[in-house]
Amino acid sequence: MSITEYFNLLFTDYTLRTISLGTSVLGAICGMLGSFAVLRKQSLLGDAISHAALPGIAIAFLITGAKDTNILLLGALVSGLIGAFWIRGMISKTHLKSDTALGLVLSLFFGFGMLLLTYIQKQPNANQAGLDKYLFGQAATLVESDVLLMVLVTAIALVVVLLFWKEFKLLLFDQDYANTLGFNTRVIDILITFFIVLAIVIGLQTVGVVLMSAMLLAPAAAARQWTSSLAVMVFLAALIGGFSGVFGTAISATQNNLSTGPVIVLVASFFVVVSFVFSPTRGLLFKQIRLIKNRRDLQLKKTLQFMYGIAQTHENIDHPHTIRILNNFQGFTKKSLRKMEENQWILLNKQQWSLTLKGFTEAQNLFNQQTQHE
Amino acid sequence: MSSPQIEIQIIAALVAVSCAIPGVFLVLRKMALISDAISHSILPGIVLGFFITQDLNSPLLIILAAGTGIITVVLVERIQKTGLVKEDTAIGLVFPALFSVGVLLIAKNANDIHLDVDAVLLGELAFAPFDRFLLLGIDAGPKAAWIMGVILLITLSLLYLFFKELKVSTFDVGLSSALGFSPAILHYGLMSVSSVTVVGAFDAVGAILVVALMIAPAAAAYLLTADLKKMLWLSVFFGVFAAISGYWLAHWLDSSIAGSITTVLALVFLLVYFFAPKKGLLSVMYRQKQQRTEVSLLTFLLHLNNHQETQERHINHLREHINWQQVKANTVVGLALDNNLITITNEVISLTTKGLSFTQTALEYIITNKDDKIEHLKDDFFLFRG
Repeated sequence: MSITEYFNLLFTDYTLRTISLGTSVLGAICGMLGSFAVLRKQSLLGDAISHAALPGIAIAFLITGAKDTNILLLGALVSGLIGAFWIRGMISKTHLKSDTALGLVLSLFFGFGMLLLTYIQKQPNANQAGLDKYLFGQAATLVESDVLLMVLVTAIALVVVLLFWKEFKLLLFDQDYANTLGFNTRVIDILITFFIVLAIVIGLQTVGVVLMSAMLLAPAAAARQWTSSLAVMVFLAALIGGFSGVFGTAISATQNNLSTGPVIVLVASFFVVVSFVFSPTRGLLFKQIRLIKNRRDLQLKKTLQFMYGIAQTHENIDHPHTIRILNNFQGFTKKSLRKMEENQWILLNKQQWSLTLKGFTEAQNLFNQQTQHE
Repeated sequence: MSSPQIEIQIIAALVAVSCAIPGVFLVLRKMALISDAISHSILPGIVLGFFITQDLNSPLLIILAAGTGIITVVLVERIQKTGLVKEDTAIGLVFPALFSVGVLLIAKNANDIHLDVDAVLLGELAFAPFDRFLLLGIDAGPKAAWIMGVILLITLSLLYLFFKELKVSTFDVGLSSALGFSPAILHYGLMSVSSVTVVGAFDAVGAILVVALMIAPAAAAYLLTADLKKMLWLSVFFGVFAAISGYWLAHWLDSSIAGSITTVLALVFLLVYFFAPKKGLLSVMYRQKQQRTEVSLLTFLLHLNNHQETQERHINHLREHINWQQVKANTVVGLALDNNLITITNEVISLTTKGLSFTQTALEYIITNKDDKIEHLKDDFFLFRG
């Protein structure tokens, strides 16, 4: 199946449409809430929470014995929240650092979850097959009701984010200030954490425990490179997340044996790499170009300064000098001299150069910050 | 106990010890999550190594996969150095991408390889004794035990040789580089040891248990002691204890060995987390409560000291004035009475000579803010603590 065929099928094939819609909505909500996680320096919270959700799924199954997605997800939500708040408690009450706390919750909850899962597998009722889809995720098992749930959660999250926009923003950038203004930062904090956990739990079924953290992080990290405004970043991250979902599904649908979750993550990672390199203000490419440009500019000014030193010893500044006397000074090339002529700093006449008045004043004011440069 | 059972326990204990040692340093250096990242991102290395060697236990595969682990660390550092994202974001970006590559490699070549993501992530210790190591045609025990034994031997000898350097660079990077130990070499040395350990252990116990065995014993030990050597011993003890008792839990429940070892680790950590003598949750909360009462007591005494008028020192007025609840006021007044800092006559509170000198010393501390004033204050004046 080729990509164009995929997009044709998208409008006709029911299953493919459901899955694509699901992954794009998931990408969007993860991007939106992930922005907050990244800016709060809780990038790896997603990793810990997604692992911590596993025992909840197993316990929910053990209690109800049913494989209803919503009940399992409720279990995941509860144990994810316990994990999230235990991490906070550990960091604030003991001297264990956040990395240790995250790693502990991640591995201990997950190991306990594994114990329960293998225990369930040995149980006589054969109803349990399919629980391990939460480990690696299977976008193919998405049905309409799952997608509806995702849309619903996204809508609620969107409303809450819009309602508490000011509070969220304040908490992100200046918690102490938020405190002094009388906001209950604890409640706002819990609200954000709750929605991040919710987004993770929703995504488990599609991309699985391991890759969930990337869904949360990658769109936000990519969006961060293009803007410094929170609103734009959240919007961009949602967009990038949504696109990663659609493209990932498209690519995995067009090839045999390509699981959707990993492909979505790789597409999102691709967006991150592109953003890292090509973002106009923060990107590595333009940063490098700016660096080279500045270096050249500095070189030019250094030459000018050297010429100024020579010209100062003569009575009239436009007294011509041979280029040869610049030879002691290593910072000039034919190209840079021509560039200086273009700037009207010097006049070149065969093997001679002379400083113009413009060049002279430029050099004079080189260390004077008040001078306006073009 | 049958011979495979003993072998499984030996392997589990070997893994536990070889994970605990680098784990201590990772936790102390605030790099615990690197172990998680490595344990996931070695997947493509393992798959590629498997394509080449066709043997999950070949040393070449271990070296290749450990190489991927190092690449992860280097990538994370590179990304972090660009300043575009924070360190944790860098970790979170690198390992899922590498893991995805590994998953897709497996999925694409599912017919050619006997490798399964479940197995890498979760491991199956129960099968470890089936893979025998043949030395000159004689059965010399399970291969996994030999691999982990060699890794442990290397780790132990490196620890013995570079203990001093590791210690200094862990607690004071500046001092260690001033003394001429290269922090970079030690850093990458530690990372290499961690990678090799993770790779060696993944086949036996799976990636997640490796993370648990690295972090949990070290974290529990860290709550119990502040001495590096004791911490190493304690975490080795916790690791081995969890490995052996976890095996029997799995035996009893008929479930995953890796899962039950982790569960025992979780129980051990919880126990320590709640009940550690000085740094445990309960003792921290008790201490905080004690400190709150003692600070209130100080405020109360300073207030008394400020007011000579009887109506200001009347017991009912005080409650109003400092705005305390009944219970809290009772606690504070009771504590002050117990310590002979105040006397109450006709419902008017006055400072005793002892209370007066306590207040003076405390005031002096507040004004000069010198720590030596407060050090002995509580010991000198308090018969009972809050």
